[in-house]
Amino acid sequence: MASPPEAPARTSEIAERRNARPLIATLPAVVWLIAFFAAPLIVFAVYSFLTNELYAVGLPFTLDGYEAALTSDLNRTLARNSVEVGLSTALVTVVVGMPIAFWLRFVARRSRLAVLFLITASMFASYLVRIYAWRTVLGSRGLINSALERIGLIDQPLGFLLYSRFAVIVAFVHIFLPYVVLVLYAGMGPLAEGLLEAAQDLGAGSSLLWRRVIVPIMAAPAFSAGVFVFILSAADYVTPQFLGGKDGVTLGVQIQQNFIGVGNWPLAAATSFLMLLAFVAVFAIGSFTLRRLRLDDIRLGS
Amino acid sequence: MSATADPMARVRLEGVAKRFGGVVALDDVDLDVADGEFVTLLGPSGCGKTTLLRIVAGFERPSRGRVLLGGEDVTKTPPHKRPANMVFQRPTLFPHLDVAANVAFGPRIDGLSKSEIAERVDRALALVRLEGFQQRRSHELSGGQMQRVALARAIVNRPQVLLLDEPLSALDLKIRLEMEGELRRLHREIGGTFVYVTHDQREALALSDRVVVLNQGHIEQTGTPNEVYRRPSSPFVARFVGDANVIPVDVASSDRGEAEVAVGGYRFRAPVSDVVGAAWLVLRPEVVGLRPASGAGGLQGVVHDLSFRGTGHSYRVAVEGMEAPLKAEVSGTEPIDLGAAVELSWDPDACRLLPRGSGEA
Amino acid sequence: MESRRRAPFASAITVAALLFLFVPLGVVVLFSFNAGGSLTFPFAGFSMRWYREIVDSPAFRDAVLNSAIVASVVAIVTLLFGTLAAYGLTRASSRFRAPVAVLLFLPLTLPGLFLGLSLLVMFARVEIDLSLRTVMIAHLVYVLPYYLLVSVAALQRLDPALEEAGADLGANGWLVFRRVTLPQVWPVLVAAACLAFALSFDEFIITFFVIGPESTLPLFIFSTLRRTVDPSVNAISSLLLAITLALFAVAFGLTLRGAKRAGLAIDETIGGTAR
Repeated sequence: MASPPEAPARTSEIAERRNARPLIATLPAVVWLIAFFAAPLIVFAVYSFLTNELYAVGLPFTLDGYEAALTSDLNRTLARNSVEVGLSTALVTVVVGMPIAFWLRFVARRSRLAVLFLITASMFASYLVRIYAWRTVLGSRGLINSALERIGLIDQPLGFLLYSRFAVIVAFVHIFLPYVVLVLYAGMGPLAEGLLEAAQDLGAGSSLLWRRVIVPIMAAPAFSAGVFVFILSAADYVTPQFLGGKDGVTLGVQIQQNFIGVGNWPLAAATSFLMLLAFVAVFAIGSFTLRRLRLDDIRLGS
Repeated sequence: MSATADPMARVRLEGVAKRFGGVVALDDVDLDVADGEFVTLLGPSGCGKTTLLRIVAGFERPSRGRVLLGGEDVTKTPPHKRPANMVFQRPTLFPHLDVAANVAFGPRIDGLSKSEIAERVDRALALVRLEGFQQRRSHELSGGQMQRVALARAIVNRPQVLLLDEPLSALDLKIRLEMEGELRRLHREIGGTFVYVTHDQREALALSDRVVVLNQGHIEQTGTPNEVYRRPSSPFVARFVGDANVIPVDVASSDRGEAEVAVGGYRFRAPVSDVVGAAWLVLRPEVVGLRPASGAGGLQGVVHDLSFRGTGHSYRVAVEGMEAPLKAEVSGTEPIDLGAAVELSWDPDACRLLPRGSGEA
Repeated sequence: MESRRRAPFASAITVAALLFLFVPLGVVVLFSFNAGGSLTFPFAGFSMRWYREIVDSPAFRDAVLNSAIVASVVAIVTLLFGTLAAYGLTRASSRFRAPVAVLLFLPLTLPGLFLGLSLLVMFARVEIDLSLRTVMIAHLVYVLPYYLLVSVAALQRLDPALEEAGADLGANGWLVFRRVTLPQVWPVLVAAACLAFALSFDEFIITFFVIGPESTLPLFIFSTLRRTVDPSVNAISSLLLAITLALFAVAFGLTLRGAKRAGLAIDETIGGTAR
């Protein structure tokens, strides 16, 4: 038997309007970034293919810079240092940052705002002051060594504390931890309180809770925070100069030296772009893996 | 339905169409709203009613057609230059301003004098019965009060047309009923032209001088609440307004001023209409009568579901051969039991027959 | 949250992290008041001598002045360019929106080393002399995306219907912005400008490459650190910390106020910033 015609629901009544005019307002910023961000990078890229001469660079285009950068044993060692320092920093900040973000999101009550304030405030502590502070704390006559000596645990200052890869990583963790905590905290938005309770109600123990609920949801924000920290710490050139000993020097320092000291601009530019290429590769492989594991689009709703 | 060429129309839409990407939101709509009229655009969500209102306000440009306000073509006029003001679905009070400053927003833009503004604000607030609320902030108001402020803010500019986009839908039922009365009173007192959008047929019938039923981007029917309710022009209107039973029937012959209508195996005579052959029978639930089956004839059915309705009961009766159960609203205190066999009857004069095209069957 | 969750491990880590973040800085501030020249305990007594020493140094005063000039200009221009850009980004809907957004946020992902080097190369190429002006140019590139993170988040949280209501009541585009949008977001925008000032005031990595013969406060600290252990560094560092943290406190207060205006929880505001 026939039934009367139904009214099929149309798509949303207020569909998105197309309006490009407000983009005019972005023009000053866009022009600025094209002139002083995009253009310099292009010039820099061109330089990486130029020939290095004494006190000058010029044509013809060559791959000498890239060849030198890739074949140098020193570069290889420094690159390994960069990767190890960057990876360690990223790992430590994410692993330590996760329980802090968890605490802020689910445990803290009245103290949440205060702790958020402190963590955000520490982001603004001066970069050089941090380096100096760690030199003071870790130095052979610094806070830790003198304290240990005083209570008689050691007679010789612990040399590995300062001028070492350890010192560099400690300082980087100090610099980047607040940032990572805030990103992870924001990423915990979709983790509803009720969700955790439901999981526990269904008999999920705390390890299961972390493995099955928290980690899958937090994979994407943890990854983006980790990559950001990795890139910025691996490419830093100041902290390793002050706190890194022989094993703490990184490729960034070498690039800076090539530029300022040696004056081989094409080599420094080529090394820079190889490093940037490596960063892009890290990012691409990482997001590809995330997608393969289907960890990037899990969203459980509040 | 098509535009009757009324030069005095306060709002006129001529062949208005709106496309969003590939989706047709409005398809060739003509509409005139007379000066001082309270017109409601009624339809299910997605029918294009809000888009139509936003086109009148100027937030959307029609893909085709013209919009005239007070005889002037405003199709390309931006919202801030149109003599129409809007009350939004959610209360959109400016959170940084108090009630008086919210209401004064428009007059201030117009550059009126301080005393003039204060006077207008006080009058507008009096009209929505919020005297003395001048210094309140929006978070100190209830939902109903916020919408009253939004109303005052919209009428303080003395717009030619007041546009209302489901302004009561976010409110509790009790406040909603109270606000309906307020809106009718306001319309009488300021004598303005109101264009009101809603998906609530009860609200539309209660408020308006004229109801425009929209479906899938076109106008299904325009008429007074009584006309739309009593004489729906399509099965859609019949079902959407008043939740009528719409039953496919066959209208046999028509002689001596009567037609013979066949509902399944049951036949009855109805007043003559120009509909012959396949037809839709429109039966309001309240015209359907129920009595325990006695074998005396009539349409046979079984009570499928019932619910208490205050003045009586509302039933759903399963009838053999019919896909959907028949809805009936019967007054009286004694309910008929679930599962009971019943006979259905109705006053032939209270039915309406609509032609049924082959495409609709 | 009704039931209080107990998480001793997470709580311990949080406390430890706060100590880790603040104790080293506290030590620096503490030693800035040490009467003796040594950087080890015991304390030789309270003294302001290191502060007096640096304040008397003309090089230090020049550096502070230069930093203040640079940061002020950068903050003001950022406020202007950034607010316009954030408004455009949040109000436009066009296929050009995404590429513009990518360009505006891309500098966030580029390490300062590369930005500094490429600007240095370009300035050399087009023969622009390095000076405080080139520092300002570079800082604006560096600071703008951070400003945008905050301001775009703030503008996105506004109810677009409020702006429509403003237009409906007769306000043109500019008046809607001034009378409806700006009153709701200005505390957050000023807060973001404070952050821009703080970021610029403290910037070293990029500045190192693009500065001329002048000095800024971070550069002054850098050269002091390079030379020898000079206890006055404690005082300089403490001053720099005090300035940036004071700016942060102002920004935080303004953000709270802005959130209150928009009826939002502060968590959301900070969360939006970090995203």
